[in-house]
Amino acid sequence: MKTEQAPRAQSGANSFADLNNRLGRTVADAVGRTLRDRGVSRMLIALVVAFAFFAVMRPRIFLGPINMQNIMVAAPEVGVIAIAMMLAMLTGGIDLSLVSIANLSAVTMSTLFTMMAASNPAFGESMTVPIILMGLLVGTACGLLNGLLISIVGITPILATLATMQILNGIAIVWTGGKTLYGAPAALTVFGKTALGPVPMLFIVFLLVAIVIATVVRSTALGRKLELQGANPVAARFSGIPSRSVLIASYTLGGLLAGLAGVLFLCRNPTASADYGASYVLLVIVIAVLGGTNPNGGFATVAGVVLATLTLQVVSSGFTALRLSPYQYSIAQGVILVVVMILDTIDWSRFKRKRGPATESASLQTTQVGSIKKEKEQE
Amino acid sequence: MQLLRKLRGANNEGSLVLVLLAVVIGMSLLNPVFFTVNTAFSILRAATVPMILALAVLLVIISGGIDVSFPVVAIGSAYTAVTICLKTGFDPGLPAIFLMAMVIGGLLGLVNGFVIARFRLPTLIVTLGTQGIFFGAMLVYGCTRYYPSLPDSMAALSAVNVIDIPTDTGRAYLHVLVLLSIAIAVIIWAVLKFTMFGRSLYAIGGDVEGARRAGIRVVRTQLLIYVLVGMVAAIGGVAYVVMSRSANPQDLVGGELDIIAAVVLGGASIFGGRGSVGGTVIGVLLIQVINNSLLLVGVPSAWLRAAVGLLLILGVGIQAITARRSAQRIHSVDDAVVATGPELEKVS
Repeated sequence: MKTEQAPRAQSGANSFADLNNRLGRTVADAVGRTLRDRGVSRMLIALVVAFAFFAVMRPRIFLGPINMQNIMVAAPEVGVIAIAMMLAMLTGGIDLSLVSIANLSAVTMSTLFTMMAASNPAFGESMTVPIILMGLLVGTACGLLNGLLISIVGITPILATLATMQILNGIAIVWTGGKTLYGAPAALTVFGKTALGPVPMLFIVFLLVAIVIATVVRSTALGRKLELQGANPVAARFSGIPSRSVLIASYTLGGLLAGLAGVLFLCRNPTASADYGASYVLLVIVIAVLGGTNPNGGFATVAGVVLATLTLQVVSSGFTALRLSPYQYSIAQGVILVVVMILDTIDWSRFKRKRGPATESASLQTTQVGSIKKEKEQE
Repeated sequence: MQLLRKLRGANNEGSLVLVLLAVVIGMSLLNPVFFTVNTAFSILRAATVPMILALAVLLVIISGGIDVSFPVVAIGSAYTAVTICLKTGFDPGLPAIFLMAMVIGGLLGLVNGFVIARFRLPTLIVTLGTQGIFFGAMLVYGCTRYYPSLPDSMAALSAVNVIDIPTDTGRAYLHVLVLLSIAIAVIIWAVLKFTMFGRSLYAIGGDVEGARRAGIRVVRTQLLIYVLVGMVAAIGGVAYVVMSRSANPQDLVGGELDIIAAVVLGGASIFGGRGSVGGTVIGVLLIQVINNSLLLVGVPSAWLRAAVGLLLILGVGIQAITARRSAQRIHSVDDAVVATGPELEKVS
């Protein structure tokens, strides 16, 4: 984008041609780079194929505006959590507590609103922004707790977040008494229903989050540090990367995103409960991995995760359009995951034969070994 | 000192026993009702199914993997076996039903093992996928009905008690399936301790490449692990169906992380290579005892999840900190560098 401004100083038709060339090259570069990422090109193909398949099978239902709206309204909450999961995986960890954090944040906001609105409904409505901030704060605090447990205490990410998942979920269950809470600021519900043209506001929020996180990962120092930490924690330490603060930043950011997902829950439905979206825990791992995130760390693309979210949502609503059961969707989800993973390994082995026994291919061959060893070193 | 170390056990089992004893003694002082045969038997009964499932997971965790598909395998194979019996109206007897469920469980495990061992994929991701496939397949191609009654032989088993003694607060029953879980624990302990297969599990969990170079057939062993896990999980599933006296295909599913938490609490390392049957048994018992105690003290059972989480953080956190301390004491340069990384960084 910088290239657009540079030639403005020059004059004449020459500068226009120059600008045109540079712009063309930048776009081609960006598209080429994005497509070269495994996750992105793969998921783009999957999305197009899935979309085309259902559009041909049931054009009237599937291509209808209501279905399109539904896909775009349902995708954001899962997508935002999946992006948070991607951040944790980027550093070689995993975050099982994200859905619990999102629910806790939704429960907090709902309780706060009900409390404030009980005495004076108008007051409750006027406090919408502080309530949202409170929800985000709860998410951030929970994420920080994860980060501290993982980096300072030194508990493995999967165990630390398994434990916080249980604790936060337990707190939410005790808090709500296992019941569903009703009540959320009307502004949120209205926001959840508004749309900018054909695109719901929720989806725009999702895209904004994706763009922000993509920028953080791709072009900030923090993003580079996250990638290095995930790719090789020992090397990262010796190159002077402060592992602890990087890990804390990663999980805190994840917590913030989970808090935001809690806000999105309330936008879609003015209800909050401790066990909403229990199936999301594993679903977001599926999405992150499908989106090309390396579960061993070091590689991830936000674009891939966004496309994977949309693909699964398209398949889900396509199955509904075909009148198939959610259980059949569960099969499809599992098959997609396993097949994509297997196809990946086949591509890798071809790559290996062409390039000879490079160190990279050797490390890919023993991904499992590498990950185990690496995590041991972290321990 | 030597004795103390031996008592503590390789995976901190000793400390866990102390915690368990402390909880039991504390509870008995707080509420005398707790220290009765009835409570002990009901805890054992409640621990039976989690115990069998936890022992199945232990095998995977020792070998360095994580399996999240086992609850689906467990309930899926038990439910399918019950469905076959009820649909055909033929009751082949208990051993045959157990065998049928184990064959189904073993086949499902074979799918897991094949994908994991053949394509060398991360175990968590693969079992996540197969979990969805198995669950969906069971409900789509099997049947979604809830069976309130079981085949006669199973229904008969659900009322059998080994010990049936009168106490002042009523009769205390010890369910016969508790013996099954003990038997499985003993068998798995023996397999891990005395067989080539058991030792190679630890070797693979410790270092896959090392195990391969030591001549262990990693692919074949991994296949066998997942088949075995499927079979043990199937036994757990049948036990669950018998004890709940009904077959519901949606049961057990979703509890995988709770069971894994119990195994990890029992001292097994999530990276493999470490773990013991004793620790797992104590871990499962501890969770059940705490569950029971919370109810007796009058704390809502909703707190159980939070309590287990807290216990997990304490257990694993203390392990992590002591591991770091003891690693710092090692004088070998390489290890010291790895262990004292953050400190080293400040110096440089």
